[in-house]
Amino acid sequence: MGLAVTRAIEDLSLVDHACVIPDSDEHLWEVTAAWVANGLDAGDRVVYFEDDTADLVLRRLNEDHTCVRHALEEGQLVIVPTEATRAALAGSIESIGDILVGQIDETAADGWPGLRLAGESGPGLMRDGGLEKIVAFEQLAERLFRGHPTASLLCRYDRRYFGDSAVEAMRRVHEIELVSPAVYDDTLLRITHSGPAAVRLAGEVDHSNRLQIRRMLDATLDAALRSHSAPTDITLDLASLRFIDVAGAVGLVHAAEEFPSTHRLVLTGVRPRVVRVLDRCGAPFADQLVVVAADA
Amino acid sequence: MEIKNTRTPPPRLAHVGGFHSSDHDLLQQLLPLVTSGLEHGRPVAAALRPATMEAVYDTFGSLPGLLLLAPPEGNDGGSGQTLAARRARQLRELTLTAGPVTVVTEHWNRFDGLDGSFWTELDAAMNIALSDLPVHLTCFFPEMPLHLEVVDGARRNHPQLLHRGEPRHNPDYRAPREVLADRPAPAPVLLGAPDTRMVFGAWQLNDVRTTVERALLAHGYGRDRAEDVVLAVNEVATNAVEHGTGEALISVWEAADGFVFEVQDAGSLRDPLPGLRAPHPSEARGRGVWIARQLCDSLHVWPGRTGTHVRMRATP
Repeated sequence: MGLAVTRAIEDLSLVDHACVIPDSDEHLWEVTAAWVANGLDAGDRVVYFEDDTADLVLRRLNEDHTCVRHALEEGQLVIVPTEATRAALAGSIESIGDILVGQIDETAADGWPGLRLAGESGPGLMRDGGLEKIVAFEQLAERLFRGHPTASLLCRYDRRYFGDSAVEAMRRVHEIELVSPAVYDDTLLRITHSGPAAVRLAGEVDHSNRLQIRRMLDATLDAALRSHSAPTDITLDLASLRFIDVAGAVGLVHAAEEFPSTHRLVLTGVRPRVVRVLDRCGAPFADQLVVVAADA
Repeated sequence: MEIKNTRTPPPRLAHVGGFHSSDHDLLQQLLPLVTSGLEHGRPVAAALRPATMEAVYDTFGSLPGLLLLAPPEGNDGGSGQTLAARRARQLRELTLTAGPVTVVTEHWNRFDGLDGSFWTELDAAMNIALSDLPVHLTCFFPEMPLHLEVVDGARRNHPQLLHRGEPRHNPDYRAPREVLADRPAPAPVLLGAPDTRMVFGAWQLNDVRTTVERALLAHGYGRDRAEDVVLAVNEVATNAVEHGTGEALISVWEAADGFVFEVQDAGSLRDPLPGLRAPHPSEARGRGVWIARQLCDSLHVWPGRTGTHVRMRATP
């Protein structure tokens, strides 16, 4: 067997069997939702094995403006319920293999061009059979999906459940690791670039990360203000911002007030909870601050 | 022609104390204040004993537009600062639409508690909470109350005292900080063992939020209300780890008709009654506890032997 070389890629459509090692929960939902959305976009059937996590994936899909209602009704998106996921993982490697092959066959029989699988396999396998079972599962997955023309699998190994050496071992078994760079991720809050003069916040802002966020925002805003080609609206996508404390909200209001009069700070997709805090912190009176609430 | 002096500074709180020797004496002093307010077209707000209220109605009729200020809670009056914050909210709303307001209040011994210090805390807190409002507030006290503290507190808390119907400078007046240094806000009644206790630092505030939110939702709090209560708890908890020694303790008493939270830290109070003054828009600090006071049914801060305590109560 040759030396495994991990390729880090961002293009999901090139993947057959890949892993993701999330920096945070928000990172995990970001990647999982992107995986699902990409599969649906391509017209493939997408099967997600949940472990009390479907709500979180669906929430993120909704925040990303990926409409899945139709896909769920048509059977293009299938969510395998928690009980079934756990029962499947508790079985032997052979029976897990049968389930995966069954999914591939069923997809072809129903006329879908391809199949994308993802789910919460790691913790379940670890619980039922330890690292040994995970390695056996990965060997099976490699056999089934490596080079498969239409079926692909996304595995995830979370540092919450796996030690550093186990994570490294998993990284080595997978030829491909999906990466999505963040500007900042402290596990409570994740910040990613979403366009020119636009960043996206996912998670929570509180006393523990407020200063770093202010610093990072200042740098982003500064760069945008210096660039002649950048838009005069600095956009913060807050669709996945689940909490902001009072000082954090006051910080956004003050940041907007300190802008040159040519520029505005635009907050988009703002969840009701965050809107209420902003309202209490003077956002309605800041001329250069625009708050666009999330669709109800 | 009307000449307006645009240089007049905006009117601020006038806080006047008055002493009376009998119910008759009280009315002799109080009724002219109401008359004067009405003559100036100012709305009137009041917190009076039922008998006094009746006399006011007998004199002025039904007094449309009269604002009844929130009464004290419980037989010991409860938290003076909570009552001051509530009355400030009522008066802020009224002054925003109606301009300057005449307010009359009266001591009532059923809220004296053990020693009458409830009134001292209330008036000191009123000085802070109403400081930026155009309110003319006159508080009446008996000359001979059951607890001497009532008279002592009234003398220290009122910058002016009524003398033959006219407010006069009061040399015994002390700023709230000084009053509260001598007689700190009292500890509230002891509660039984809490349902949850949790030690936290600045990096566990999210755990505090998660724990509180889950418990509130499990007890049937609506989502918006639960989120607002979580915000209030977060702000008080943040203050504790920001100004305290870095670690703090939260205790939670769960009940479907109202959660109680208590946060304690080992720090000492920079501001004896935080969050009472309406925050200025340019100030980043001090807004958190003010918002927490708006969101909770009561929020009581007091100094303990080992540090600062904050107790919040939030109904669904």
